Amino acid sequence: MRYWLPWLLLLFAGCGVFELHPYEVRGGEQDVNARALEKLQRDRADGSFRFAVMGDIGVFLKEAKDAMKDVAQRDVDFVIQVGDLTEFSSAQEYGWVASLLDDAPVPSLAVIGNHDLLGTGRQLFLHHFGTPELVFDYGGSRFVLFDSNSREFDFPGDVPDLDRLRAELMAPPRGGHLFTFSHVPPWHADFDPSLKEPFEDLQAERNVAVSFHGHVHRFSSDAREGVRYFITDALELRNYLVVTVAGESVRIEQVFY
Amino acid sequence: MKLSGLAAGLVVVWLLLGLPARAESPASEAPWYVPDHAALQFAGSIGMLAAGPGWAFLDEQVDVQMLLGWAPRSVAGADFVTLTLKAQWHPFRITRGDWSIRPLTIGAAFSYTFGDRYFLTLPDRYEPGYYWFKTALRPALLLGGSVGHAVPELGVSLLEGYYELVATDYRIVQFVQNPLTVNTGLFSLALGARLRF
Repeated sequence: MRYWLPWLLLLFAGCGVFELHPYEVRGGEQDVNARALEKLQRDRADGSFRFAVMGDIGVFLKEAKDAMKDVAQRDVDFVIQVGDLTEFSSAQEYGWVASLLDDAPVPSLAVIGNHDLLGTGRQLFLHHFGTPELVFDYGGSRFVLFDSNSREFDFPGDVPDLDRLRAELMAPPRGGHLFTFSHVPPWHADFDPSLKEPFEDLQAERNVAVSFHGHVHRFSSDAREGVRYFITDALELRNYLVVTVAGESVRIEQVFY
Repeated sequence: MKLSGLAAGLVVVWLLLGLPARAESPASEAPWYVPDHAALQFAGSIGMLAAGPGWAFLDEQVDVQMLLGWAPRSVAGADFVTLTLKAQWHPFRITRGDWSIRPLTIGAAFSYTFGDRYFLTLPDRYEPGYYWFKTALRPALLLGGSVGHAVPELGVSLLEGYYELVATDYRIVQFVQNPLTVNTGLFSLALGARLRF
Protein backbone atom coordinates (compact mmCIF):
# COMPACT_ATOMS: atom_id res chain seq x y z
CA MET A 1 0.00 0.00 0.00
CA ARG A 2 1.30 3.45 -0.87
CA TYR A 3 1.94 5.90 1.93
CA TRP A 4 -0.67 8.36 0.66
CA LEU A 5 -3.51 5.87 0.63
CA PRO A 6 -4.57 6.25 4.30
CA TRP A 7 -4.63 10.02 3.85
CA LEU A 8 -6.69 9.72 0.71
CA LEU A 9 -9.17 7.51 2.55
CA LEU A 10 -9.38 10.01 5.40
CA LEU A 11 -10.05 12.75 2.87
CA PHE A 12 -12.86 10.67 1.41
CA ALA A 13 -14.19 10.06 4.91
CA GLY A 14 -14.54 13.82 5.25
CA CYS A 15 -17.12 14.09 2.52
CA GLY A 16 -20.67 12.93 3.06
CA VAL A 17 -20.49 9.99 0.66
CA PHE A 18 -19.01 7.71 3.28
CA GLU A 19 -20.62 6.70 6.55
CA LEU A 20 -18.33 5.06 9.06
CA HIS A 21 -21.10 4.16 11.47
CA PRO A 22 -24.82 5.00 11.74
CA TYR A 23 -24.14 6.81 15.04
CA GLU A 24 -20.96 8.62 13.98
CA VAL A 25 -20.54 12.15 15.30
CA ARG A 26 -18.92 14.32 12.64
CA GLY A 27 -19.62 16.83 9.90
CA GLY A 28 -22.87 18.61 9.12
CA GLU A 29 -24.23 21.84 10.55
CA GLN A 30 -22.95 22.64 14.01
CA ASP A 31 -24.24 24.82 16.88
CA VAL A 32 -27.57 25.33 15.11
CA ASN A 33 -29.27 26.73 18.25
CA ALA A 34 -26.51 29.25 18.91
CA ARG A 35 -26.54 30.31 15.27
CA ALA A 36 -30.31 30.76 15.34
CA LEU A 37 -29.88 33.07 18.35
CA GLU A 38 -27.21 35.03 16.52
CA LYS A 39 -29.61 35.52 13.61
CA LEU A 40 -32.38 36.63 15.94
CA GLN A 41 -32.31 40.44 16.06
CA ARG A 42 -33.07 40.68 19.68
CA ASP A 43 -33.22 44.44 20.08
CA ARG A 44 -36.01 44.90 17.52
CA ALA A 45 -39.04 43.62 19.39
CA ASP A 46 -40.22 44.82 22.72
CA GLY A 47 -43.34 43.46 24.33
CA SER A 48 -45.02 42.40 21.11
CA PHE A 49 -43.80 39.66 18.81
CA ARG A 50 -44.75 36.23 17.44
CA PHE A 51 -43.05 32.89 17.59
CA ALA A 52 -43.95 29.37 16.46
CA VAL A 53 -43.79 26.07 18.34
CA MET A 54 -43.44 22.91 16.27
CA GLY A 55 -44.03 19.31 17.31
CA ASP A 56 -42.21 16.02 16.84
CA ILE A 57 -40.47 15.53 13.48
CA GLY A 58 -39.37 11.88 13.70
CA VAL A 59 -40.07 10.34 10.28
CA PHE A 60 -42.09 13.37 9.12
CA LEU A 61 -39.24 15.27 7.50
CA LYS A 62 -41.35 16.21 4.49
CA GLU A 63 -44.03 17.75 6.72
CA ALA A 64 -41.29 19.50 8.71
CA LYS A 65 -39.86 20.97 5.54
CA ASP A 66 -43.32 22.21 4.50
CA ALA A 67 -43.85 23.68 7.97
CA MET A 68 -40.56 25.58 7.69
CA LYS A 69 -41.77 27.03 4.38
CA ASP A 70 -45.12 27.92 5.92
CA VAL A 71 -43.66 29.92 8.83
CA ALA A 72 -42.28 32.43 6.33
CA GLN A 73 -45.91 33.49 5.60
CA ARG A 74 -46.92 33.81 9.25
CA ASP A 75 -44.79 36.76 10.26
CA VAL A 76 -43.18 34.93 13.16
CA ASP A 77 -39.80 35.97 14.56
CA PHE A 78 -38.49 32.50 15.37
CA VAL A 79 -39.40 28.82 15.77
CA ILE A 80 -38.87 26.41 18.65
CA GLN A 81 -39.18 22.69 17.90
CA VAL A 82 -40.07 20.66 21.01
CA GLY A 83 -37.97 17.50 20.50
CA ASP A 84 -37.84 14.19 18.66
CA LEU A 85 -35.99 15.67 15.73
CA THR A 86 -35.13 12.13 14.70
CA GLU A 87 -36.66 8.67 14.90
CA PHE A 88 -33.45 6.65 15.43
CA SER A 89 -30.88 9.23 16.59
CA SER A 90 -28.83 8.32 13.52
CA ALA A 91 -26.12 10.63 12.28
CA GLN A 92 -27.87 10.88 8.93
CA GLU A 93 -31.17 12.06 10.41
CA TYR A 94 -29.39 14.52 12.71
CA GLY A 95 -27.61 15.89 9.65
CA TRP A 96 -30.84 16.31 7.69
CA VAL A 97 -32.71 18.00 10.55
CA ALA A 98 -29.78 20.25 11.48
CA SER A 99 -29.61 21.59 7.94
CA LEU A 100 -33.42 21.86 7.77
CA LEU A 101 -33.45 24.10 10.85
CA ASP A 102 -30.32 25.97 9.83
CA ASP A 103 -31.78 26.78 6.39
CA ALA A 104 -35.25 27.67 7.71
CA PRO A 105 -36.61 31.10 6.68
CA VAL A 106 -36.67 32.25 10.33
CA PRO A 107 -34.24 31.41 13.15
CA SER A 108 -35.14 27.94 14.45
CA LEU A 109 -34.06 26.23 17.66
CA ALA A 110 -34.60 22.68 18.91
CA VAL A 111 -35.27 20.96 22.23
CA ILE A 112 -33.96 17.41 22.79
CA GLY A 113 -36.43 14.49 22.70
CA ASN A 114 -36.20 10.89 23.86
CA HIS A 115 -35.64 9.57 20.33
CA ASP A 116 -32.73 12.02 19.99
CA LEU A 117 -30.94 10.41 22.95
CA LEU A 118 -30.53 6.85 21.65
CA GLY A 119 -27.00 5.53 21.12
CA THR A 120 -24.68 8.52 20.77
CA GLY A 121 -27.71 10.83 20.52
CA ARG A 122 -26.74 13.21 23.29
CA GLN A 123 -23.32 13.65 21.71
CA LEU A 124 -24.98 14.19 18.31
CA PHE A 125 -27.30 16.83 19.78
CA LEU A 126 -24.35 18.64 21.39
CA HIS A 127 -22.48 18.47 18.08
CA HIS A 128 -25.29 19.73 15.84
CA PHE A 129 -27.37 21.93 18.17
CA GLY A 130 -25.34 22.66 21.31
CA THR A 131 -26.47 22.32 24.91
CA PRO A 132 -30.03 20.99 25.41
CA GLU A 133 -30.37 23.44 28.34
CA LEU A 134 -30.73 26.88 26.84
CA VAL A 135 -31.97 30.24 28.13
CA PHE A 136 -32.42 33.41 26.14
CA ASP A 137 -34.37 36.66 26.33
CA TYR A 138 -36.37 38.13 23.50
CA GLY A 139 -38.71 41.11 23.40
CA GLY A 140 -38.55 41.42 27.16
CA SER A 141 -39.62 37.79 27.69
CA ARG A 142 -37.50 34.83 28.77
CA PHE A 143 -37.33 31.45 27.03
CA VAL A 144 -36.08 28.37 28.87
CA LEU A 145 -35.38 25.13 26.95
CA PHE A 146 -34.57 21.98 28.92
CA ASP A 147 -34.32 18.19 28.86
CA SER A 148 -37.26 16.37 30.50
CA ASN A 149 -36.63 12.89 29.04
CA SER A 150 -36.30 11.27 32.48
CA ARG A 151 -36.93 7.70 31.31
CA GLU A 152 -33.99 7.79 28.88
CA PHE A 153 -31.67 8.30 31.86
CA ASP A 154 -33.57 5.73 33.98
CA PHE A 155 -35.06 8.38 36.29
CA PRO A 156 -31.85 9.60 37.97
CA GLY A 157 -33.71 12.32 39.93
CA ASP A 158 -32.12 15.28 38.17
CA VAL A 159 -33.77 15.05 34.75
CA PRO A 160 -35.17 17.64 34.49
CA ASP A 161 -32.63 19.49 36.59
CA LEU A 162 -34.87 21.50 38.92
CA ASP A 163 -31.98 23.31 40.64
CA ARG A 164 -30.85 24.63 37.34
CA LEU A 165 -34.40 25.53 36.31
CA ARG A 166 -34.97 27.33 39.59
CA ALA A 167 -31.97 29.53 38.83
CA GLU A 168 -33.00 30.08 35.22
CA LEU A 169 -36.66 30.85 35.87
CA MET A 170 -35.93 34.37 37.08
CA ALA A 171 -38.29 37.23 36.39
CA PRO A 172 -37.96 38.31 32.75
CA PRO A 173 -35.72 41.35 32.29
CA ARG A 174 -38.32 43.85 31.13
CA GLY A 175 -41.39 42.51 32.85
CA GLY A 176 -42.41 40.26 29.96
CA HIS A 177 -43.39 36.61 30.15
CA LEU A 178 -41.67 33.35 31.04
CA PHE A 179 -41.97 30.52 28.53
CA THR A 180 -40.65 26.99 29.09
CA PHE A 181 -40.06 24.24 26.50
CA SER A 182 -39.28 20.56 26.91
CA HIS A 183 -40.18 17.33 25.17
CA VAL A 184 -41.99 15.23 27.80
CA PRO A 185 -44.85 16.97 29.67
CA PRO A 186 -44.73 16.68 33.48
CA TRP A 187 -47.79 14.47 33.89
CA HIS A 188 -46.54 11.87 31.39
CA ALA A 189 -45.20 8.49 32.63
CA ASP A 190 -41.83 9.24 30.96
CA PHE A 191 -41.36 12.31 33.17
CA ASP A 192 -39.78 11.48 36.54
CA PRO A 193 -42.88 11.01 38.77
CA SER A 194 -40.97 12.20 41.84
CA LEU A 195 -40.29 15.53 40.08
CA LYS A 196 -43.77 16.12 38.66
CA GLU A 197 -45.16 18.06 41.63
CA PRO A 198 -41.98 19.97 42.47
CA PHE A 199 -41.72 20.95 38.80
CA GLU A 200 -45.33 22.11 38.51
CA ASP A 201 -44.98 23.98 41.81
CA LEU A 202 -41.81 25.67 40.58
CA GLN A 203 -43.43 26.74 37.32
CA ALA A 204 -46.39 28.18 39.25
CA GLU A 205 -44.16 29.89 41.81
CA ARG A 206 -42.13 31.57 39.08
CA ASN A 207 -45.25 32.65 37.18
CA VAL A 208 -44.46 30.80 33.98
CA ALA A 209 -46.93 32.02 31.34
CA VAL A 210 -46.96 28.97 29.08
CA SER A 211 -45.15 25.63 29.14
CA PHE A 212 -44.78 23.89 25.73
CA HIS A 213 -44.21 20.17 25.17
CA GLY A 214 -44.38 17.41 22.56
CA HIS A 215 -43.88 13.64 22.84
CA VAL A 216 -47.60 12.69 22.91
CA HIS A 217 -48.06 13.51 19.18
CA ARG A 218 -51.58 14.83 19.86
CA PHE A 219 -52.54 18.42 20.61
CA SER A 220 -53.89 19.21 24.06
CA SER A 221 -53.91 22.11 26.48
CA ASP A 222 -54.33 22.30 30.20
CA ALA A 223 -54.00 24.77 33.07
CA ARG A 224 -52.21 23.61 36.22
CA GLU A 225 -51.74 25.84 39.23
CA GLY A 226 -52.34 28.84 37.00
CA VAL A 227 -49.74 27.82 34.41
CA ARG A 228 -50.91 27.07 30.86
CA TYR A 229 -49.54 23.88 29.28
CA PHE A 230 -49.66 23.11 25.58
CA ILE A 231 -48.79 19.85 23.83
CA THR A 232 -48.24 20.10 20.07
CA ASP A 233 -49.43 17.68 17.43
CA ALA A 234 -46.63 15.76 15.70
CA LEU A 235 -45.85 17.46 12.39
CA GLU A 236 -47.45 14.50 10.63
CA LEU A 237 -50.75 16.31 11.31
CA ARG A 238 -49.47 19.37 9.44
CA ASN A 239 -50.01 22.03 12.05
CA TYR A 240 -48.07 23.97 14.64
CA LEU A 241 -48.66 26.67 17.22
CA VAL A 242 -48.26 30.40 16.67
CA VAL A 243 -47.87 32.44 19.82
CA THR A 244 -48.63 36.16 19.67
CA VAL A 245 -47.33 38.23 22.54
CA ALA A 246 -48.69 41.77 22.90
CA GLY A 247 -47.90 43.34 26.24
CA GLU A 248 -49.85 41.44 28.88
CA SER A 249 -51.64 39.25 26.37
CA VAL A 250 -50.34 35.90 25.13
CA ARG A 251 -52.51 34.37 22.39
CA ILE A 252 -51.89 30.84 21.14
CA GLU A 253 -53.39 29.49 17.94
CA GLN A 254 -52.99 26.21 16.12
CA VAL A 255 -52.26 26.89 12.45
CA PHE A 256 -52.63 24.27 9.71
CA TYR A 257 -50.68 24.23 6.46
CA MET B 1 -25.47 -12.53 27.53
CA LYS B 2 -27.05 -10.53 24.75
CA LEU B 3 -24.56 -11.71 22.16
CA SER B 4 -25.33 -15.39 22.58
CA GLY B 5 -28.62 -15.16 20.69
CA LEU B 6 -26.92 -13.45 17.80
CA ALA B 7 -24.06 -15.93 17.80
CA ALA B 8 -26.50 -18.83 17.73
CA GLY B 9 -28.31 -17.18 14.83
CA LEU B 10 -25.08 -16.74 12.94
CA VAL B 11 -24.14 -20.36 13.41
CA VAL B 12 -27.54 -21.43 12.07
CA VAL B 13 -27.11 -19.19 9.03
CA TRP B 14 -23.64 -20.60 8.46
CA LEU B 15 -24.93 -24.14 8.69
CA LEU B 16 -27.81 -23.48 6.33
CA LEU B 17 -25.53 -21.83 3.80
CA GLY B 18 -22.75 -24.30 4.29
CA LEU B 19 -24.69 -27.50 3.81
CA PRO B 20 -25.78 -27.02 0.18
CA ALA B 21 -22.31 -25.78 -0.75
CA ARG B 22 -20.85 -28.93 0.65
CA ALA B 23 -23.20 -30.94 -1.49
CA GLU B 24 -22.38 -28.85 -4.57
CA SER B 25 -18.62 -29.17 -4.35
CA PRO B 26 -17.65 -32.64 -3.20
CA ALA B 27 -14.29 -32.19 -4.91
CA SER B 28 -13.29 -29.43 -2.49
CA GLU B 29 -10.78 -30.80 -0.03
CA ALA B 30 -11.03 -28.24 2.75
CA PRO B 31 -13.95 -28.54 5.14
CA TRP B 32 -16.68 -25.97 4.50
CA TYR B 33 -15.82 -23.83 7.49
CA VAL B 34 -12.32 -22.97 6.26
CA PRO B 35 -12.66 -19.53 4.70
CA ASP B 36 -11.85 -19.21 1.03
CA HIS B 37 -11.54 -15.47 0.93
CA ALA B 38 -10.84 -12.47 3.11
CA ALA B 39 -12.12 -8.93 2.80
CA LEU B 40 -10.98 -5.49 3.94
CA GLN B 41 -13.52 -2.70 3.68
CA PHE B 42 -13.49 1.06 4.14
CA ALA B 43 -16.71 2.73 5.44
CA GLY B 44 -20.18 1.36 4.63
CA SER B 45 -21.68 2.02 8.12
CA ILE B 46 -19.82 -0.91 9.70
CA GLY B 47 -16.69 0.95 10.82
CA MET B 48 -13.97 2.99 9.19
CA LEU B 49 -12.16 -0.26 8.48
CA ALA B 50 -13.70 -3.71 8.66
CA ALA B 51 -11.99 -7.00 7.92
CA GLY B 52 -12.77 -10.67 8.13
CA PRO B 53 -13.07 -14.07 6.51
CA GLY B 54 -15.58 -15.11 3.88
CA TRP B 55 -17.00 -18.21 2.33
CA ALA B 56 -18.11 -18.68 -1.26
CA PHE B 57 -20.87 -21.03 -2.31
CA LEU B 58 -22.62 -22.12 -5.49
CA ASP B 59 -19.65 -21.69 -7.79
CA GLU B 60 -18.74 -18.37 -6.12
CA GLN B 61 -22.10 -16.87 -6.99
CA VAL B 62 -22.89 -16.41 -3.32
CA ASP B 63 -20.53 -15.02 -0.69
CA VAL B 64 -20.98 -14.87 3.05
CA GLN B 65 -18.64 -12.72 5.11
CA MET B 66 -18.05 -12.04 8.76
CA LEU B 67 -16.42 -8.64 9.28
CA LEU B 68 -15.11 -7.04 12.42
CA GLY B 69 -15.25 -3.28 12.02
CA TRP B 70 -13.76 -0.38 13.90
CA ALA B 71 -14.08 3.38 13.77
CA PRO B 72 -11.86 5.52 15.99
CA ARG B 73 -13.05 8.38 18.17
CA SER B 74 -10.66 10.79 16.45
CA VAL B 75 -12.53 10.43 13.16
CA ALA B 76 -16.03 9.19 14.06
CA GLY B 77 -16.54 11.14 17.30
CA ALA B 78 -16.85 7.94 19.34
CA ASP B 79 -15.22 4.51 19.24
CA PHE B 80 -17.34 2.00 17.39
CA VAL B 81 -16.77 -1.75 17.22
CA THR B 82 -19.16 -3.75 15.07
CA LEU B 83 -19.58 -7.33 13.96
CA THR B 84 -21.21 -7.70 10.56
CA LEU B 85 -22.63 -10.68 8.77
CA LYS B 86 -22.93 -10.02 5.09
CA ALA B 87 -24.47 -12.18 2.37
CA GLN B 88 -24.02 -11.29 -1.29
CA TRP B 89 -25.20 -12.66 -4.58
CA HIS B 90 -23.25 -12.06 -7.80
CA PRO B 91 -25.58 -13.19 -10.59
CA PHE B 92 -23.11 -12.50 -13.43
CA ARG B 93 -19.42 -12.94 -14.02
CA ILE B 94 -17.50 -11.73 -17.04
CA THR B 95 -14.03 -13.23 -17.51
CA ARG B 96 -11.41 -11.76 -19.87
CA GLY B 97 -8.00 -13.38 -19.55
CA ASP B 98 -6.79 -12.72 -16.02
CA TRP B 99 -9.62 -10.27 -15.37
CA SER B 100 -12.87 -11.17 -13.70
CA ILE B 101 -15.69 -8.66 -13.50
CA ARG B 102 -18.86 -9.01 -11.45
CA PRO B 103 -20.94 -6.06 -12.60
CA LEU B 104 -23.78 -6.59 -10.15
CA THR B 105 -23.78 -7.59 -6.52
CA ILE B 106 -26.95 -7.68 -4.46
CA GLY B 107 -26.72 -8.33 -0.78
CA ALA B 108 -27.87 -7.82 2.75
CA ALA B 109 -26.04 -7.28 6.00
CA PHE B 110 -26.73 -7.36 9.71
CA SER B 111 -24.42 -5.31 11.84
CA TYR B 112 -24.14 -5.58 15.61
CA THR B 113 -22.58 -2.68 17.51
CA PHE B 114 -20.89 -3.55 20.81
CA GLY B 115 -21.40 -1.36 23.86
CA ASP B 116 -23.76 -0.44 26.70
CA ARG B 117 -25.18 2.50 24.80
CA TYR B 118 -26.91 0.20 22.32
CA PHE B 119 -29.57 -2.39 23.02
CA LEU B 120 -30.59 -5.66 21.42
CA THR B 121 -33.39 -6.24 23.90
CA LEU B 122 -35.10 -3.22 25.47
CA PRO B 123 -33.66 -2.24 28.87
CA ASP B 124 -35.97 -2.73 31.87
CA ARG B 125 -36.90 0.93 32.09
CA TYR B 126 -39.04 0.63 28.95
CA GLU B 127 -42.41 -0.99 28.41
CA PRO B 128 -42.34 -3.76 25.76
CA GLY B 129 -42.53 -2.19 22.32
CA TYR B 130 -41.48 1.29 23.53
CA TYR B 131 -38.99 1.39 20.65
CA TRP B 132 -39.81 -0.77 17.65
CA PHE B 133 -36.18 -1.07 16.50
CA LYS B 134 -32.97 -2.29 18.12
CA THR B 135 -30.21 0.28 18.35
CA ALA B 136 -27.48 -2.40 18.45
CA LEU B 137 -28.59 -4.24 15.33
CA ARG B 138 -28.63 -2.58 11.92
CA PRO B 139 -29.95 -4.38 8.87
CA ALA B 140 -28.84 -2.98 5.53
CA LEU B 141 -29.32 -3.65 1.84
CA LEU B 142 -26.30 -3.67 -0.47
CA LEU B 143 -25.81 -2.98 -4.15
CA GLY B 144 -22.41 -3.05 -5.80
CA GLY B 145 -19.92 -4.54 -8.19
CA SER B 146 -16.33 -5.70 -8.35
CA VAL B 147 -13.33 -6.10 -10.62
CA GLY B 148 -10.72 -8.76 -9.98
CA HIS B 149 -7.36 -9.84 -11.32
CA ALA B 150 -5.39 -13.01 -10.73
CA VAL B 151 -2.20 -12.58 -8.67
CA PRO B 152 -0.67 -16.06 -8.51
CA GLU B 153 2.69 -14.67 -7.33
CA LEU B 154 1.01 -13.60 -4.06
CA GLY B 155 -0.68 -16.94 -3.63
CA VAL B 156 -4.14 -15.55 -4.30
CA SER B 157 -6.28 -16.70 -7.16
CA LEU B 158 -8.04 -13.39 -7.38
CA LEU B 159 -7.54 -9.89 -5.94
CA GLU B 160 -10.83 -8.05 -6.23
CA GLY B 161 -11.64 -4.41 -5.66
CA TYR B 162 -15.27 -3.67 -4.94
CA TYR B 163 -17.62 -0.83 -4.29
CA GLU B 164 -20.86 -1.11 -2.42
CA LEU B 165 -23.85 1.19 -2.00
CA VAL B 166 -25.18 0.65 1.50
CA ALA B 167 -28.76 1.46 2.51
CA THR B 168 -29.17 1.04 6.26
CA ASP B 169 -32.64 0.58 7.73
CA TYR B 170 -32.58 4.21 8.98
CA ARG B 171 -32.06 5.49 5.50
CA ILE B 172 -34.62 3.17 3.93
CA VAL B 173 -37.33 4.15 6.44
CA GLN B 174 -36.69 7.87 5.96
CA PHE B 175 -36.45 7.47 2.20
CA VAL B 176 -39.75 5.60 1.92
CA GLN B 177 -41.42 8.12 4.22
CA ASN B 178 -39.88 11.24 2.64
CA PRO B 179 -38.67 10.39 -0.89
CA LEU B 180 -38.62 13.98 -2.07
CA THR B 181 -37.00 15.38 1.03
CA VAL B 182 -34.07 13.03 1.49
CA ASN B 183 -33.62 11.89 -2.09
CA THR B 184 -29.83 11.94 -1.99
CA GLY B 185 -29.50 10.10 1.29
CA LEU B 186 -30.56 6.53 0.57
CA PHE B 187 -27.04 5.18 0.10
CA SER B 188 -23.62 5.62 1.55
CA LEU B 189 -20.56 4.28 -0.24
CA ALA B 190 -18.14 1.55 0.82
CA LEU B 191 -14.91 0.56 -0.92
CA GLY B 192 -13.11 -2.68 -0.35
CA ALA B 193 -10.69 -5.36 -1.43
CA ARG B 194 -11.21 -9.12 -1.42
CA LEU B 195 -8.57 -11.81 -1.66
CA ARG B 196 -9.76 -15.16 -2.97
CA PHE B 197 -7.35 -17.92 -1.99
